[in-house]
Amino acid sequence: MAIIRVSQLNKHFGALHVLKNVSLSIDPQEVVCVIGRSGSGKSTLLRCINFLEQPTHGTIEVDEISVAVDQHRLSKAQKRAIHQIRLCTGMVFQEFNLFPHLSVIDNLIEAPVTVKGLPRERAIVIAEKFLDKVGLMEKRDEFPARLSGGQKQRVAIARALTMEPKVMLFDEPTSALDPELIGEVLEVRTQLAKEGTTMLVVTHEMGFASEVANRVVYMDEGQIIEEGAADQIFSVPCDPRTRQFLDRLLRTT
Amino acid sequence: MAVESLSQAELILKQQEHAQHTFRGRVLVWWGVILGTLLFIFSGARIQIGPIVLQTIQFDWEFIGRVSPIIRQGVVVTLLLSATSILVASILALLTALARLSRVAFLYALSTFYVSLIRGTPLLLQIVFFFLALPQMGIILDATLSGILALSLNYGAYMSETFRAGIQGVGKGQREAALALGMTPGQMMRRIVLPQALRIVIPPMGNDFIAMLKDSALVSTLGFVRDLMWYGQNQGRREFRSLEALLVVAVWYWGMTIIFTWLQSRLEKRLARGER
Repeated sequence: MAIIRVSQLNKHFGALHVLKNVSLSIDPQEVVCVIGRSGSGKSTLLRCINFLEQPTHGTIEVDEISVAVDQHRLSKAQKRAIHQIRLCTGMVFQEFNLFPHLSVIDNLIEAPVTVKGLPRERAIVIAEKFLDKVGLMEKRDEFPARLSGGQKQRVAIARALTMEPKVMLFDEPTSALDPELIGEVLEVRTQLAKEGTTMLVVTHEMGFASEVANRVVYMDEGQIIEEGAADQIFSVPCDPRTRQFLDRLLRTT
Repeated sequence: MAVESLSQAELILKQQEHAQHTFRGRVLVWWGVILGTLLFIFSGARIQIGPIVLQTIQFDWEFIGRVSPIIRQGVVVTLLLSATSILVASILALLTALARLSRVAFLYALSTFYVSLIRGTPLLLQIVFFFLALPQMGIILDATLSGILALSLNYGAYMSETFRAGIQGVGKGQREAALALGMTPGQMMRRIVLPQALRIVIPPMGNDFIAMLKDSALVSTLGFVRDLMWYGQNQGRREFRSLEALLVVAVWYWGMTIIFTWLQSRLEKRLARGER
């Protein structure tokens, strides 16, 4: 039983057709990496899953909550379903997007308290568990401005986890980091994968993709060109476009 | 290498700071000179250099001493008038900014109409209107209330633009993070956007309060609000000593403005610290 099922997804930005009939399904505990050139639509795909971008057409299903979108305005029922989907997906952004006016611990408990209505003390217990997991317990009361990029991103991961989502969505979480800070973030992510967290990761880190991902999806010009086990995609890609993309990447790195 | 270039940068910074410091010192001296000259002009001294006799302006100090305590009674009224109005104006400005950013056509229309109407008419007219024109429709307002209402509506319209900029100044990423965490648009606004927008808006709000302090003097024209300006005019006219009376009032306004400007710059510095 798939936990995420995207079917016939289309997204237009004005005249631009960014996603063309994309279908993808992800099973519980699976780690799926989406790779592809910039502008291939991979981030948009991710952002359509929790409706940060509203799809033009198609169906998104997360944890058996399904939203089918066409040109019409969203109904009340659809809006409710989108809210449910957001509750069971955690998202990590390229730019971290921590709340600068809140301390680290308050960043973590903000949504559990306001959205889920958890008592503060209970939320703090959960938050501290995840803060410990990303190894930043000593930064509990700092403000985001005083953290390094890598630390910010680990806090952002902990913040998403504190909502105890069923799926984690990562939108190029290491692209805004200095090279020496990427390692700590990858480490946390690898740890999560080992623990069986379901993850959909848009990434440029081919190392992470090949080592951790159960499945790799290659996108180009708004379409999924090829998907398969990491070994297969990286060693014997079927499609010439995938081959070309990987060749160029391997030559530059 | 890196360390050396850093210390060089620091050296340049120190030099600039030093230059800035001595410049400020000289400015301060000149302020003193200008003030001293002014004081001299109004000192009433009579100076004779050879055949030239220089008579400076003579104040009636006895009068100043007598009316100063009376004029001082207006300070509280001016401060209360301004503080109440800025408070009401802030609430109005926030609501107007939210309406302006809303996708509901009626709210958008209402806010733009209000801002256009208020900004397109004189503040003095608005003040007089509430006091003199509304009674014709059966609404009789106390002069102080008319003043507060007019000042609030006027400043609310101007400040709504500041509030709007503040709300828009909170990045798109912040909204997305809030929504992705499952917040409703209302929760996102209250918990994430507005607290950050407030930090952006407080310094310009300080400026508005200072401007309000001075604009509130217009309310004295109604004749029934005994603020600083009213006492100044009233006392001056009574003994044909408006020069002294109005100068006393001016010193009060000026002093309050300087104090609040200083407070505001301190607040601004505190808000800027540790952010982003």
